[in-house]
Amino acid sequence: MGFAQPNPAPIAALARNRATVMAELRRLLPRMGEQRKPLPFGLAAIDSHLPDGGLACGALHEVVPAAEGCIAAAFGFIAAILARISSPPPCGEGLGVGVGRFCKNVDAFTSPHDPHPSLPPRGREQRAASPRAHPLFFIAPTYALRPYRPHGRLHGHGLNALGLDPDRLILVETAHRKETLWAMEEAVRSAAPAAVVGVIDTLDLKLSQRLHLVATDAGLPLFLLRSAPPTLPSPASGGGWGEGSAAATRWRIGTAKAARDRFGLVTQPRWHLQLERCRNGRPGEWVVEYDHVAHRFSLAAALADFSRARGAGEKSIRQAS
Amino acid sequence: MLAALAKNPSGKPVDPDRPFVLVVVATGGPRIAALNAAAEALSLATGDLLADARAKAEFLQVRDADPAADDAALRRLALWATRYTPTASPWTEDNGADGFFLDITGSAHLFGGEEKLLADLASRLQKNFGLPARLAVADTPGAAWALSRFHKTPSFVLPPGQEAAALAPLPIAALRLVPETRATLRRLGFKTVGSLLDKPRAPFAARFPTELLRRVDQALGRIDEPLVPIVAPPVYHCLRYLLEPIFTHDAIIAHANRLMATLIHVLTRDDVGARALRLCLYNVDGAVETIDIGLTLPTRSVAHVARLIELKLEALAAACDAGFGFEAIGLAVTCAEPMPARQTELTSVTDDRTERCASLIDALRQRLGPHSVRHFEPMASHIPERAEVLPPIDGEATAWPEAEQKPRPLLLLPHAEPAEDVTALVPDGPPRRFSWRGVTYDITGAQGPERIGAEWWRYREPKPTRDYYLVEDSSGHRFWLFREGLYGRETTAARWFVHGLFA
Repeated sequence: MGFAQPNPAPIAALARNRATVMAELRRLLPRMGEQRKPLPFGLAAIDSHLPDGGLACGALHEVVPAAEGCIAAAFGFIAAILARISSPPPCGEGLGVGVGRFCKNVDAFTSPHDPHPSLPPRGREQRAASPRAHPLFFIAPTYALRPYRPHGRLHGHGLNALGLDPDRLILVETAHRKETLWAMEEAVRSAAPAAVVGVIDTLDLKLSQRLHLVATDAGLPLFLLRSAPPTLPSPASGGGWGEGSAAATRWRIGTAKAARDRFGLVTQPRWHLQLERCRNGRPGEWVVEYDHVAHRFSLAAALADFSRARGAGEKSIRQAS
Repeated sequence: MLAALAKNPSGKPVDPDRPFVLVVVATGGPRIAALNAAAEALSLATGDLLADARAKAEFLQVRDADPAADDAALRRLALWATRYTPTASPWTEDNGADGFFLDITGSAHLFGGEEKLLADLASRLQKNFGLPARLAVADTPGAAWALSRFHKTPSFVLPPGQEAAALAPLPIAALRLVPETRATLRRLGFKTVGSLLDKPRAPFAARFPTELLRRVDQALGRIDEPLVPIVAPPVYHCLRYLLEPIFTHDAIIAHANRLMATLIHVLTRDDVGARALRLCLYNVDGAVETIDIGLTLPTRSVAHVARLIELKLEALAAACDAGFGFEAIGLAVTCAEPMPARQTELTSVTDDRTERCASLIDALRQRLGPHSVRHFEPMASHIPERAEVLPPIDGEATAWPEAEQKPRPLLLLPHAEPAEDVTALVPDGPPRRFSWRGVTYDITGAQGPERIGAEWWRYREPKPTRDYYLVEDSSGHRFWLFREGLYGRETTAARWFVHGLFA
């Protein structure tokens, strides 16, 4: 040994590639724990499009109906995402509870190209073991749940049919907009629910920043269902979107013709998803169908990639990834 | 009389030093229901005809009696008196409806004894309300009632076990009897309670209604007389008198914190937690503000209770008027539930989450109203609008049945709305086109019917059967339509309705 190396550690660190450093930083960050795992769609096409590989957990997500008649589809999309946020199994029980009943969907879990295998359906036994341990809070003005002239109110049996146990959902009725905002903040701050959904009519940049910060601090997903479609993009506002928003994603949900079996019966609802804006990501467009038994999204068979089917102009943008 | 004075119905001020009577309409015209000392001095009495009284007293001031306002004022006064003991019971009509019982068992020593409590009560009634009160302490409510009315001193404490001796010289009216019984006894020559007490019981039981012996027994403590408290008596109670009146929310919360911290020791000792709390704020001018707090899970947390009080005070900011300030503040646990000490596990976060969830529900309820937090509960009915209810959440999870294969809409309209211009290929087939809310939809696929019969046991006139269809239009909107009435059997012109929207 001629001369001793003064400090071998930094040199070794320099030699490491960027990815390792990033992984190390992620590990060291205090709140990158279990809770902050993103919510994957279980669909490679969408998950690879989103920067976190799914919907970020501590973030604000806007869901907007594409037209006034599409509000049921927007509700359905949120219900489907909520149904996928499953409660962790109680100690001593594996994830396999209740699979036996749904043998026909077993292949769904073993899909080879699926980086995030979807969770098995909740069996009754599992549900009974942890009743309301991870509730979902649904906050809406009174007129949205009570006689809400435009589109009625949420129906428990309808939620059940979409695979979301209505018992996990706790409804909070508010009298006006201020109370809705307060209740949303309160629910997210407490970090008690697994997710919070709020129904609100308008949103401005400041408000969305505030809600996004609250969601980031608590590490909870906060879904904001806009009962009215936001203003359309106009050249006056700098060519961008009509209104600013700090939300991590904005989804515009439209209707699509449902999947039918060979007897012509509706088997799975389909929605036309438009990822209108996405922080650190690009917009996208898909038609998905939702399997309420397996809690699984899949691309609609006929038009697997909506944007590709539209024309080559958008194709080039999509392929840039 | 206090209420009538306070309300001053005719607008003209009443001079309290001159004769003043309240009248009610009775047989033979208006009669005196209450009168002041100046009127008494002119030998007027309750029950006199107003016409006679006017003849006796010049410039008699007359107002109509307002029993409802009197009752409300008495209740306010009884609520104010809960500072002495939690059990305050205003007198009902058969007790004269002009006073209240206080059960001071176990609380007299807090004021330095029964005499001192009476002196304090008398001075506060005089100072705060201007009421010259007649007070008495006895072992039974009946004896206390009699002594407060008929004893010569306005404030009297009867030593234990001397009811019979103390009541003996009092008139028969001291037994709270109805006027007919009283009149009969007077005719028979019984003038004092003592003359009744040493007589054999059997003839009285045969001659008089049971009321007479019951009242005698109640006065002497032979049978119990349950008191109906004005507010449910608390399980644990803590009250603090303040040297200086407080006004601000912060001060109220700080004091409530201290009270809760005091209560925690008792709660921990008994292994219980509070499910319902009541905060009483005693205003200097005699009014009492009460704040009720309900909790989803039993709690012993000072911070949680303080937060709920703060939310309630914020919501009440306009209604709750501090006025001259609050001179006393009381916190009571009105409902306690077992809350055994728990071993916290290092790895489990479920309990923690349940607790956080409960405190979130409490906070939301406190601010938005008790019925604002709801959950879905299934009902045993096939009629869609009756198949579920949304009751306020109670902490109990409800088991939902496994989803059936039948289609159910995600959004249900509160009332089925008629669909117009419905075209169907055959009268009892699925529709091909309909319009709803001014928009026409071309149906490309329909699924059904699912026939739901009316609940015949519910209505006298049977409601028509419904045939439900899931229909989808050309752009993918999915609706839940139904046709009312079986074609050809129940109706010849079936009507169509939109009842729900599918996701």
